[in-house]
Parts: sequence; C-alpha cells; structure tokens
Amino acid sequence: MDSVTISTENLTRRFGELVAVEDVKLRVSSGQFFGFLGPNGAGKSTTIKMLTGLLAPTAGRIQILGLDLIENLVEVKSQIGVVPEGMALFGRLTGSEYLNFVGRMYGLDRDTAARRAAELLEFMQLADQPKTLVTDYSHGMQKKLALAAAVIHGPKVLFLDEPFEGVDAIAAGTLKAMLQRMIARGATVFLTSHVLEIVERLCSHVGIIHRGRLVAQGSLEELRAGVEARIASLPVAAAPGEKLTLEQIFLSTVGGSRSGAQELSWLS
Amino acid sequence: MTPQASQQLIAVLELRWRIFANSLRTVRGRLELASRIFIGVIFVVGGLGGAVALGGAAWFLTSEGNVEWLGTLLWPVFLFWQLFPVLATAFTENIDSSSLLRFPLSYWSYFLIRLAYGSLDPATTVASLWLLGITVGLGVARPKLLPFTVVVLLTFAMVNLLLARMIFAWLERWLAQRRTREILGVVFFLFILGAQIIGPLITLYGHTSKPETTMLGQEVFNAQRPLPPGLAAAALADIVQGQPWASLISLLLLGLYGLGFFLLLNFRLRAQYRGENLSESVARKVTRAEAKTLQRAWNVPGLSAPIAAVFEKELRYLSRSGPMLFTLIVPMFMLLVFRSSGRNQGVFAHAPELTFPLGAAYALLLLTNLCYNNFGSDGSGVQFFFASPVHFRQIMVGKNLAHSCVFVLEVILVWLGTSLLYRPASIEVTLATVVCLLFVLPIDLAAGNLFSIYSPNRIEAGVFGRQRASLTTVLASFVIRGALFGVGAVVLWLSRHYAGSWIIILIFSLLVGLAFTSYVFVLDYIDGIALRQRENLISQLSR
Repeated sequence: MDSVTISTENLTRRFGELVAVEDVKLRVSSGQFFGFLGPNGAGKSTTIKMLTGLLAPTAGRIQILGLDLIENLVEVKSQIGVVPEGMALFGRLTGSEYLNFVGRMYGLDRDTAARRAAELLEFMQLADQPKTLVTDYSHGMQKKLALAAAVIHGPKVLFLDEPFEGVDAIAAGTLKAMLQRMIARGATVFLTSHVLEIVERLCSHVGIIHRGRLVAQGSLEELRAGVEARIASLPVAAAPGEKLTLEQIFLSTVGGSRSGAQELSWLS
Repeated sequence: MTPQASQQLIAVLELRWRIFANSLRTVRGRLELASRIFIGVIFVVGGLGGAVALGGAAWFLTSEGNVEWLGTLLWPVFLFWQLFPVLATAFTENIDSSSLLRFPLSYWSYFLIRLAYGSLDPATTVASLWLLGITVGLGVARPKLLPFTVVVLLTFAMVNLLLARMIFAWLERWLAQRRTREILGVVFFLFILGAQIIGPLITLYGHTSKPETTMLGQEVFNAQRPLPPGLAAAALADIVQGQPWASLISLLLLGLYGLGFFLLLNFRLRAQYRGENLSESVARKVTRAEAKTLQRAWNVPGLSAPIAAVFEKELRYLSRSGPMLFTLIVPMFMLLVFRSSGRNQGVFAHAPELTFPLGAAYALLLLTNLCYNNFGSDGSGVQFFFASPVHFRQIMVGKNLAHSCVFVLEVILVWLGTSLLYRPASIEVTLATVVCLLFVLPIDLAAGNLFSIYSPNRIEAGVFGRQRASLTTVLASFVIRGALFGVGAVVLWLSRHYAGSWIIILIFSLLVGLAFTSYVFVLDYIDGIALRQRENLISQLSR
C-alpha cells in the first residue's frame, strides 16, 4: 500500500459566518500527481493555503509526510515547495538573485544554491536575461521562476496554486516538463487548476471541492466509473463508445451546465 | 469639460469616497481615520496660526510702506509648498496613474485628476491658508487693491501647485531608472558641495564693513526677484507704490512661470498617459559567457544562511528603490538648511553639538517607512516567508540588521556633514549621541517589528510619494521616538546640570542594556505573533 503524503481530517475554515472549507478529508499518496479542482470560490485556494501553513484552519488536522503540520511547521516546510496564489516573488531582485535567496532560505550553502539557480534558470529558459528584475518579467516567466524557486531545495511535496493560469503553450510545456521530472524522482505534486485539459493529461488522481466540501476524490478512472454509474443525470454526455472527459466528470460532479444562457437586455 | 469627462471625475471622487467609507469597516481603517483627523488638526492649526502671523506681517509691511519686504513672506510659503512634500512623503498623497489609464479617460481628465490630487495634500492646504492670510492682511491695509492682490496670489498659488506636481512627476521619472537616478544623485551632491560656498560667503561678508553687507543683501534681493516669490512680491509692491505697468509685467512673468511649469508637467503626464514603462527593464545586454557566470549569494560572516539571505535581499531592494534612497540623503539636505539658517548666533552658536544629535535623530525618523513597515515593499512575497522553513524572528533579525546598517551609514554621513559644514562635534557629544542611539534603536526596531506585523501597508518601491506607511503607524512612531528621545534629553539635561557629560554615558549604558533586553523579548514572541497575524499580513500586502 502506498504511504500517505498528504492527509487531512475534518479540515474546516470559517471566515466569520462564511464556511469556506468544511470537514475535508483528503488522502494523497506519495508519488501521486494530484489535481484539486473546483468552481470559483469553492475553497481550493483556502485549502492549499492551509496545507502549506499560510492559513490557520479553524478546525481539523493536517499531516504532511506523516508529520502534523501545526506541531512541526518548520520541519514540514523544509520538505515542501510552494507556488502560492500571486506567486510570492520579490520583484526587485533578478531571477538569479531571487533563486539564490530562496535557496539560502531553505538552508542550501552558497555554492549549491548558486549552482542550482543557474541550472534552473537554464532549464526554465530564463538564463538569457540575468540582469532583468523579476518585476519586469512577463507573466509566463514569473510563473516559471516561481516554480523554479519551489523546487530549488528538492522538495518531497509540491503545492501549486493555479500554476498554468495565464501561461502560454510554450511556458506551459516547460512547466509540465519540470513537474513530470519531479514526479519521476518520486515527489508528490498537489495542484489546483482551472485548465481541465492539462489536469486530465498530467494528473493521476483528482479531488473535486464544491462549496467547501470535498465531493469526489480518487483516480481518474475511479471518478469516471462513478459518474458513468449515474450517466442519466449527466448534463453533457459523452458520445457512445467514448470515454468521459474530465470536464464532463467535473460538470457532472459539481452540477454545472453550460446551457441556459440568459438574455442580456443591452446585448440582444 | 465634456459631460463624459465630468462624469469620470465624479466617478473618481465617488470611488475615493467609497474606498474611504469601506475602509471604516475595519478597526485599522477607523484608527487610520482618527490619525488622519489628528494630523489634520495639527496642520489646520499650523495653517491658521501661520495665516494670522503672515497676514499681520503683510498688513504691517504695507501700512508702514515697506512693501519691498513682501518677498520675505512669500518665500517661506513657496519653500514650504515645494519642499515639505518631498521631505515628508509620509503625509503626501499621490495617485497610481496606471489604475486609471485602462478607462476611456481623456488626457485632460487625467491631467485634472493628477492636479486635483496635488491640491488635496497638507502642504497645499497649509500654504493656501498662509496665502489667504497674506491676502487678508494686504486687503485690510489697502482695501482698493484687494481684487488685484487676489489675482496675484491666485496666480502665485497656481504656479506653486503646478511646480509641486511637476517636481513630483519628474522626480518619479528620474528615480525610476538606474541611470537617471545616478545622474540625479550626482546633481544632488554637486548641489551640496555648491551650497558649502554659503558658509565662506557669510564669513566673508558677515563681519566686514556695512556697505559690502548691504551690497550682498542687494545682490540676493536682485537674484530672487526674477523667481516666482520675488515676482509675486514685486507685483504687489509695485501696485501699492502706484506703478501698475511694472506690476502687470511682474504678474505676466509670474504667469509665464506658471505656463512653463504647466508645459513641463504636461510633457511628463502625456508620456504617462501614452503608457510609458518606468521600470528598470532596459537591461544591459550580456554575453553568453556572462550569463553562464555563477552568481553566488553574499557571504556575510557570522550570520546564518536565512538571516544572511534576508539581509542581502533587503539591501538589494533598498539599492533599487530610488525614492527610498532619495529619502536617505535628505538628512544631508537638512544639515544644509541648518547651516544656512545661521551661524554663531543663538542656538547655532553650539551648532555641532546640536546638529549632530538632531541630524542623527532626523535620520532615524526617515527610517519610519523601513522599520515600521518592514514588509511593505515585499508585497505578495511575504507569503514566501510564511511558506519557508524559517522562524519569523530570523527574518526580522535579517531585516533589522539591514536597516541598522543603513542607519549607521546615515549617522556617519551626518557626522561627516556636520564636520564639513561646521566642525567635528566634541567627543563627549559624539559618544553621548551614539550611546543614546544605541538605547533608542533596539526599542525602535522592536516597536517597528510589531507595527510591521499589526499594521502593514503595501509599498510601491519604484514610485515617489506613494511609499508611505499607515498614518497610525507614522503617528505611533513619532510618539515612541518622542518618548525615547525625551528620556535621552532628560538624561542629558541632568548630566549637564549635575555631573557633566560623561555621566550620561553610564546612565545610557544601563538604558542600552534595557533596550536590548526589550528587543530580544519582542523577538522571542514574534513567531507566535506573526503566525496569528499571517492572514491580515498576507491579505494587506498581496492585494
């Protein structure tokens, strides 16, 4: 049986009256490429923030690599890499300075940090602009740099909040290559994304959160099988003989539909 | 103005109002309002007091027939209007034009919005009150000339408004990029060197025969006459003395200044309106070999890797923030102001003894944005600090060390400046000041760390006049420093009266011990405080 890398028990987060995440029980095994999906405002970012120590849960427990997150905050953080919402970059450093800074913050010595920073910049195709400040990078370049920073210390678990948002196909290819390398070396990747095609292609396992509750979790095949069992209620059915796409699974699970467009009085 | 432009202006006003009203939903917003009211009252009192004093002086000069001295009233107004916003950016409101440019805003609406923001800042309000006082004073002395006085002083006000906006717009432009920033730095230092001629000139003429002093005074008078305050004063003086044509010419020249400032401001704002990019993106081309060169982090002996990393990052940030660097050279400017204020007279008879401690204290005040809002320039990067496996106290120590280094450099510069402009401060005063700072700095840093976590404000490091901490924090920092320097002043006073200067070093040594203990005490609790405040910190800095 696979060892569990990320697990939560009754994970709950309230903001005043609003319950953003409620009673979430996640299980992500080591080496999994886990896609965490949900409509806007479903609680994806809140969950990933709690999993990475950026937000305190109102209730519940989080275990990462078998360690309780709250009790072993620093130890857990040293073994994970994070690309949070907004990327958390320092805009007035150059890419190389930023990666060196991050490496040192994760306890790498100067030489190792410098060597890895150079390799990462090369891999991410950012090496040809060593004097450019991060603030002057394009959005795609910033995404690549954020991912490079998240992996510089060789984490065992990667948390990525919308890594493909606003990224062109070329940059997305580089990001995917990096993530696949991480998986190949045994790391676990936990990502949220709106780009269902990418999740479908990359992720082996998926969790779907809706209105703060985890409504589905498992491998793509397991989710597909579950949805096919209640195919009658599917809003967008697959053609006969075709496998259900992740989009269809997702829409079926969260009860969404693309039909029923309303008329706008001033656009008719 | 077209109906659409008026609607846009109204929309911007409503937006400002909504932002203000919504900010009152939080305790922080309400505290900010209280601070704003408190500071507003201080400015209004200063403005009204100045208005009464200047009004009385204007009335006296006109009634006594000494109208040629009206310039002495208009120069302080002019200097305050232009220098205060630059020297005290904490109270200055500037607009982020990029947020407006995405709307279908005509250029002139954009221009007016930029100008309107300028007319709401404290310097404009206070200086306008002073001008109102002068207008009333002149009006009482010469009621028939009131309409013309109003025209002249309104023109003078407009010139000031345009000049202040123009200075801001161009400073922002020059400070935004490394090359222009370096040129500006050189110009500033040349100015400092040039200003040192003032001392020898005063020495040369101050104690010599009366006719030469009078001649110098006449030359200064002639030199200031073609400048805006001189022209406004001349326009008023000439009309009082029954020379309407001369007066009109002065007014016309004043108007030409206004037109010149308008054109320069217009040139700058047009570039902004077209969507210029004031970033450092024009990077030097590098060869492949250079690009391959391994760039290592700094080796800072004695510091752990995370502390050294934060220390390096802070200093790199600071070196790339033109506006912040500009703020840091302001103490030298203040030394010049002290220097040109008087020599061997009154309090200035003890100049080095006063200037060095005062300059050092002022240098500490200028660090408010750094020390009391030390995550301000990190923006969303603050999330990284919470995601990294580093204790928050290490991050704070790294930041505090960097800021302390900057402060020490400032104090050394102030000491050198004092030595150059006057003479070196005595060893007792130097030591007493240093020990006093050793007492003040740790407590100040500890308080700054707490305010940085409880009341963070996002800072745009690359722009001028928008990098301010919250007013609550600014007020609190003033109170804390006031109390700390108050303790210092009491010890100094006691030592002067009862024992002599050396005793204060002993007393301060005890206080220094207490200060460092307080710093360590706050540091011990900072991890827990930061964790409890992380949501507020991240949401305030990431938006």
